[in-house]
Amino acid sequence: MSDRRSHFHRELAELEAELMGVAERAERMIGEAVRAVVEDTPALADAVIAQDDEIDRIYLAIHDRWLELMARQQPMGSDLRLMSAILVLNATLERMGDQCVNISKMAKVVHGLPRSQQILTELQEMADLVRPMVRTAMDAFVRRDVPTALTLPEMDEPVDRLNRQMYRRVVECGPRKEQLEWATRMMMVARALERIGDQAVDVAEQVVFLATGEFREFGDTAGTGEHG
Amino acid sequence: MKTADHTSDQGVIFETKALNVFYGEFRAVRDIDLQVRANEITALIGPSGCGKSTVLRTLNRMNDLIPNARVEGVVRYNGEDLYDPDVDPVEVRRRIGMVFQKPNPFPKTIYENVAFGPRIARLDGDLDVIVEESLRKAALWDEVKDKLHEPALALSGGQQQRLCIARAIATSPDVVLMDEPASALDPIATLRIEELMLELKQDYTIVVVTHNMQQAARVSDRTAFFSVEVGDGGRRTGKLVEFDLTERIFTSPSQKETEDYITGRFG
Repeated sequence: MSDRRSHFHRELAELEAELMGVAERAERMIGEAVRAVVEDTPALADAVIAQDDEIDRIYLAIHDRWLELMARQQPMGSDLRLMSAILVLNATLERMGDQCVNISKMAKVVHGLPRSQQILTELQEMADLVRPMVRTAMDAFVRRDVPTALTLPEMDEPVDRLNRQMYRRVVECGPRKEQLEWATRMMMVARALERIGDQAVDVAEQVVFLATGEFREFGDTAGTGEHG
Repeated sequence: MKTADHTSDQGVIFETKALNVFYGEFRAVRDIDLQVRANEITALIGPSGCGKSTVLRTLNRMNDLIPNARVEGVVRYNGEDLYDPDVDPVEVRRRIGMVFQKPNPFPKTIYENVAFGPRIARLDGDLDVIVEESLRKAALWDEVKDKLHEPALALSGGQQQRLCIARAIATSPDVVLMDEPASALDPIATLRIEELMLELKQDYTIVVVTHNMQQAARVSDRTAFFSVEVGDGGRRTGKLVEFDLTERIFTSPSQKETEDYITGRFG
């Protein structure tokens, strides 16, 4: 079959590839930001914050290119759905970068404070759950893979659970002011990781939209039922 | 063929069932099932030779004027068989007007162009009033009210096309059929025609054939996508691939052939 819009479709593929690059970068930043917290290394936190500037730059570049393609090509059908998904994913990945910055800032302000190993273990656990979520959602996006996208809410459940129990961990930290200050900041880190998990679910929702034309937010039952 | 059933039969003004049109031995379109609803704009799109204009012309019996043309199947207009021997084709064309690709005013005055149809049809009413109302509805009155008795051919292309629309609606039709009404016009004149179509659908049912997908997307409520099947000996026959709400056709069509066409992957 001949493609009468091959130039446009090539540009669309390039835009998608750039987005994949941002996703890989964001995923790496999640790992590094949490490592900066766990290992108490402010220099690594600074490096993550610097990397976010690059994500912001690409975010704007993708947005400009998206707008130009929209104005010039006026896409239809699956091309239109892909353009819509790219716009949402671009904003979602940019916000993931912002969450990594939030985590990194926490790493810097708690530098040298007394720590709880249990909380650090659980934060590391959250990061180890969230990173594959981002990768899985983006893989599903590239392959237009609805069944895989529908697994994301299930992957998100333990992240939500760990985030909820972080409150109790903080209370259990005891009355010492410095330890309490550290633990309160860690609650913010858990909250940022929980948000990134939600954003990965948002990506998966876009995959379903892209593949089926039906947009719906995943509820508690998503991932277990049928799909359109 | 895939037709989505989003509403009931209510308000259906045209219905074709197993419509086939032949020119001599040549089958131009095959088995078209289509419903046109009142006060909507229905767009017929598809590649050249897909039979969309042929289908349009069956809706006011314009094919009768082509020698060897033969219509099989059913075309119902307001529930009645349009091709019943008792039906008067002239009366049909009064109630189902047509606007063509190239503006084709008569070489007469602006006034006479609009007054022509009502006069022939001996419609009741003050002719001056009919002319003014028709020109107003066609969004042309303000531009021509001071030169009604000047030659129509002195108008611009876009004005001439709006005059043809005024002429079509002067006989109080139910339906206006449009065969590529803007393809000979510049972009500004095209947008004026499209705006006008959206105004006119309050009072009329519009069926429009267009090569311009964006135009179909901008103006129509429902879109029918036609395609060509190539048979033995290279014979090309038009068929209806998909008919649905315009929004569905252009965002997530159900048929791959439609998707390939609207994304330019048509091969």
